[in-house]
Amino acid sequence: MQISDAHEMVKLEKDPNAAFALIIDGKTLTYALEDDLKNKFLSLAVNCASVICCRVSPKQKALVVTRLVKEGTGKTTLAIGDGANDVGMIQEADIGVGISGVEGMQAVMASDFSISQFRFLERLLVVHGHWCYKRIAQMICYFFYKNIAFGLTIFYFEAYTGFSGQSVYDDWYMLLFNVILTSLPVISLGVFEQDVSSEVCLQFPALYQQGPRNLFFDWYRIFGWMGNGLYSSIVIYFLSILIFYNQAFRANGQTADMAAVGTSMFTCIVWTVNLQIVLTMSHFTWIQHLFVWGSIATWYLFLIAYGMCSPVISGNAYRILSEALGPAPIYWAATLLATLSCNLPYLVYIAFQRALNPLDHHVIQEIKYYRKDVEDQHMWKRERSKARQRTKIGFTARVDAKIRQLKRKLQKKVSSLSIQTQP
Amino acid sequence: MNPRGDSTSGSDGAPEPRRKSKKPKYSRFTQQELPACKPLLTPAIVVTTFAFIGIIFIPIGLLSLSASEQVVEIVYQYDTDCIPEQLQNDKVAFIQSSKTNKTCTRTLTVPKNMEGPVHIYYELDNFYQNHRRYVKSRSDKQLRSKASETVTTNCAPEATTSDGSVIVPCGLIAWSLFNDTYSFAVNSKIIEVNKKNIAWQSDKEHKFGSDVYPKNFQMGGLIGGAKLNASIPLSEQEDLIVWMRTAALPRFRKLYGRIETNLAANEQITVTIQNNYNTYSFEGKKNLVLSTTSWIGGKNDFLGTAYLTVGSLCLFLAIGFIILYLLKPRTLGDPSYLSWNRNPDGHY
Repeated sequence: MQISDAHEMVKLEKDPNAAFALIIDGKTLTYALEDDLKNKFLSLAVNCASVICCRVSPKQKALVVTRLVKEGTGKTTLAIGDGANDVGMIQEADIGVGISGVEGMQAVMASDFSISQFRFLERLLVVHGHWCYKRIAQMICYFFYKNIAFGLTIFYFEAYTGFSGQSVYDDWYMLLFNVILTSLPVISLGVFEQDVSSEVCLQFPALYQQGPRNLFFDWYRIFGWMGNGLYSSIVIYFLSILIFYNQAFRANGQTADMAAVGTSMFTCIVWTVNLQIVLTMSHFTWIQHLFVWGSIATWYLFLIAYGMCSPVISGNAYRILSEALGPAPIYWAATLLATLSCNLPYLVYIAFQRALNPLDHHVIQEIKYYRKDVEDQHMWKRERSKARQRTKIGFTARVDAKIRQLKRKLQKKVSSLSIQTQP
Repeated sequence: MNPRGDSTSGSDGAPEPRRKSKKPKYSRFTQQELPACKPLLTPAIVVTTFAFIGIIFIPIGLLSLSASEQVVEIVYQYDTDCIPEQLQNDKVAFIQSSKTNKTCTRTLTVPKNMEGPVHIYYELDNFYQNHRRYVKSRSDKQLRSKASETVTTNCAPEATTSDGSVIVPCGLIAWSLFNDTYSFAVNSKIIEVNKKNIAWQSDKEHKFGSDVYPKNFQMGGLIGGAKLNASIPLSEQEDLIVWMRTAALPRFRKLYGRIETNLAANEQITVTIQNNYNTYSFEGKKNLVLSTTSWIGGKNDFLGTAYLTVGSLCLFLAIGFIILYLLKPRTLGDPSYLSWNRNPDGHY
């Protein structure tokens, strides 16, 4: 009954800035968690700004704080704790954060993330959480893209071989594709990519919201990348086939065999896929440069090295770059055309998006790039404060509440003064 | 916010032992503060990129197209043409019989001046040299040296003869060697066909051994193609070398030889074809091609056309983006585009 009364009180409160706090202790919690009361208790609790449960047992921590909230509201829950009694809660929550320190290492061992001080939670979420979300989303989408672009070209070729299973590429090319030629750039993307720097992440917590709103890993994006892969595979395959068709490809009159066409097609894929990741990344350290341009250089070096191995090993790829393809202008022309044609749609898309519908981190990147935060400190501070979501608890909320109180008092005084001064 | 843990140092002279700092060593790498360049895609860069691509591609396209247009090509399909009228009903029997006359004489007219060397190709259609079983059916080791003569692992069914002696060169690719021949004459004067250097240099020197001679070749019941002269080593059998380079598509050309002299326009070339090769069992086609080359190779307008298309598309995109930026300008770094300023009710 107390719960129903409290519920009514919360509902009736008209002031949007009023904040309610619910305080409950362990003994009462046992009753509140019974099946008939559970849901009412939960709906009351989520309407409050903060809920304080004291003297709860470890089991109740897991039951209440996590299982009830997790299943009742369907939201992602995070639990943070430092003692052995928090282990149940940490494991039950979707994300468990353990604090290593005074009370021992049990919480750390049971948790997904461990930090050394409670105040680091802000940095964990707002900086690393934001970065990791972006990195993982981009990495997965890019992986789909590059393997679709590569695999489908092999598939198209089958239609031209009577579906006999002959691959247009040499076995070594296919082995190396995912191992060394295209894997290192995407690893560097996943480890080092930062859309905005850590200071900006901390100053603009609203950027973190891009994660919960799932802006970067929704189905549109996934299918968009797959479509990009499909388009790239079609362009690369048909351009290579039609350019090297059946006529001579050198001034000396030789025609292209399967090794020449396969090598040229593979060169186009390596260039396209690596140029695509350059367009995706926004943060280039020396590592990214090394991996991306190094991967492309590795491909050419491999061709030369493989070509120098005895023909018993390299077969028809013997000296293919140095003798057949290297001196042929058509090979380099085909690579240039295929690479740029495949990357054009993506370039158009991002140019369009940045022009008409820029996302928050685009605007902030521009502000930082043009140093407008330095020139116009006032604007920067203002945007920073706007970026903080209105909350009902915490230091800023108390300050705001005090300000509102003072304002109300001032208004009353002004209105009473004006009544007095009216003739 | 300072991510580093606090370290406490004991004050001087105090009896308290100094607590060891647990702060991890700072490095730019672990703190993800490596110096980085963060390029921004500004409208200027977008327009410049598209315009640049367009300006580079269009001349390349025009050059390629003009090179391809300069190439003069004569293509003559002779597989149905070279079978006498009365035997057209059973082409396979005609080609397989050893009693029929396979010589076929035709006249070709040169459309434009052809500057030497004029390359001669045979073009086959519907012949799947890229079929997996066919591509595998060879022994590179055997081709290279006499010592590995008996290495015929992938060559079945053309690995050994019925009494077990090894076939050199083994495999289906060699067995199906093309064996039509062509000879040319103008005004009853024979034009010499240079059949040297039609194969890749590296093939002749390193892939096909100079100590390997054909042995037991085409001795079986089923004859697939040409016979080889057993006294010439493989490194000099250039027709075989050219044929063994499996083509990528079912329609392909292979170099037969070169005519080193020029061919004047409107000249009538008499070509004598020995129509030996059986493409009739699988409805394949055979063409004879005479073609000059340019710096880009043979006649193919596709490269030039593709470059022109992409180049003009990029120029259109550049103009389109200029119009877009003029119609809907957005100052870069304008904070009014931040989502909390665009939706001021603060609903995220």
